[in-house]
Amino acid sequence: MSDHREQAGRLYREYGPAVYRRCLRLLGDRERARDATQEVFVRLVRDMRRLEDRENVLPWIYRVATNHCLNLRRDVRRRGEEALDQGLELAPQVPADAYPERQLAQKVLSRFDAETQAVAVGVFVDGMEHEEVAAALGVSRRTVARKLDRFLANARKYLARGEP
Amino acid sequence: MTATRCPSDLALEAHLLDPARSAVAGHLEGCPGCRERLARMEREGAEFRQYVYPATVDAVAQAAGPRPRRRWLVAVGPLVAAAGAGLVFLLWPGPSPDYVGIKGGALGLSVFVGGAEGVRAVADGEGVPASAALRFQVRPEAPCRLWIVSVDASGQVSRIFPAEGEGGAAVSAPGPLPGGAMLDGRAGPERIYAVCGREALPYARVEAAVREAAGGGERAVRAAAQLRNLPEGSRQATLLLEKRP
Repeated sequence: MSDHREQAGRLYREYGPAVYRRCLRLLGDRERARDATQEVFVRLVRDMRRLEDRENVLPWIYRVATNHCLNLRRDVRRRGEEALDQGLELAPQVPADAYPERQLAQKVLSRFDAETQAVAVGVFVDGMEHEEVAAALGVSRRTVARKLDRFLANARKYLARGEP
Repeated sequence: MTATRCPSDLALEAHLLDPARSAVAGHLEGCPGCRERLARMEREGAEFRQYVYPATVDAVAQAAGPRPRRRWLVAVGPLVAAAGAGLVFLLWPGPSPDYVGIKGGALGLSVFVGGAEGVRAVADGEGVPASAALRFQVRPEAPCRLWIVSVDASGQVSRIFPAEGEGGAAVSAPGPLPGGAMLDGRAGPERIYAVCGREALPYARVEAAVREAAGGGERAVRAAAQLRNLPEGSRQATLLLEKRP
């Protein structure tokens, strides 16, 4: 095994659990989470230097894994496959009046662009503060607030109209 | 109960990675709910180490190894010699009216594979020999700057056309492209993209979009029918090949 491969194996052992948990949370299926974990890490090990940066690596891992798994959710839905259509449970720390329901339905999420979906999931599913979402996704707090406002306004409209 | 807001999953991940520097240790002491969340996360971590890691570490380590040599052999290169180009076009005729190897709307992409039975257009998702020779034809709606690239399950992005230069090849009418490509002989999915920008389109931008969409293993390659973060007005088309041994 080359040095690169040994290094990748070590980093995978250290950070793989975080990726797996993230994928399990967003996909809700162990087999899909296992495949997605591998796919995400294949992507991460292409930038080994960044992966070795302990101070900043976690938000990056979160971002890559979140985007990948939300993509999978969208694609599975587009192909009409089963099992990922269930919503994502809201985090317990999210106040009851913050969102009309206690889960984010995939059919609602799918109406928004990828970044808006990541923001909504960060705030409602992961229970993050706006600042934490901004840091994790590499965007400004203002962007988080703007996208969240738009998400809420439109999601409420869809839900009020009985859509989807 | 604790007075502070419960930490996010990401904050708990940071705690698990480095408990000595945890910013949430105090909260955890007073919050049974978060301790339960943490215990569940630890169980899932054990599950990863027991089942997921052993089954997937080889693929991850392989991806971290040295990059394989350039996989595509451009079969006919720039084809500046008119005689050569003529020969190629004779050998690789255009599609029949009912061909199916085209995807996309404002930009059409056809992929042709050569074999013992002659040349045929490939349908989306169709199996082809892993070392097949390919040719391409595009149908732009309007003049644009074209790139043909591909990505495989290892995340390797290959530049197919144009082989040289930056900004993409100027195309304005439907037709076959000069040159071609040879598949690398490895079984698995290979997705081909045609991307055409209104103006010069840097290859790095296309490559990044392909990596982002499809650079994550077999499933990602099969699913990534849409590239994002391309310049406004860019057209794209794609076609999936399943390379068979």
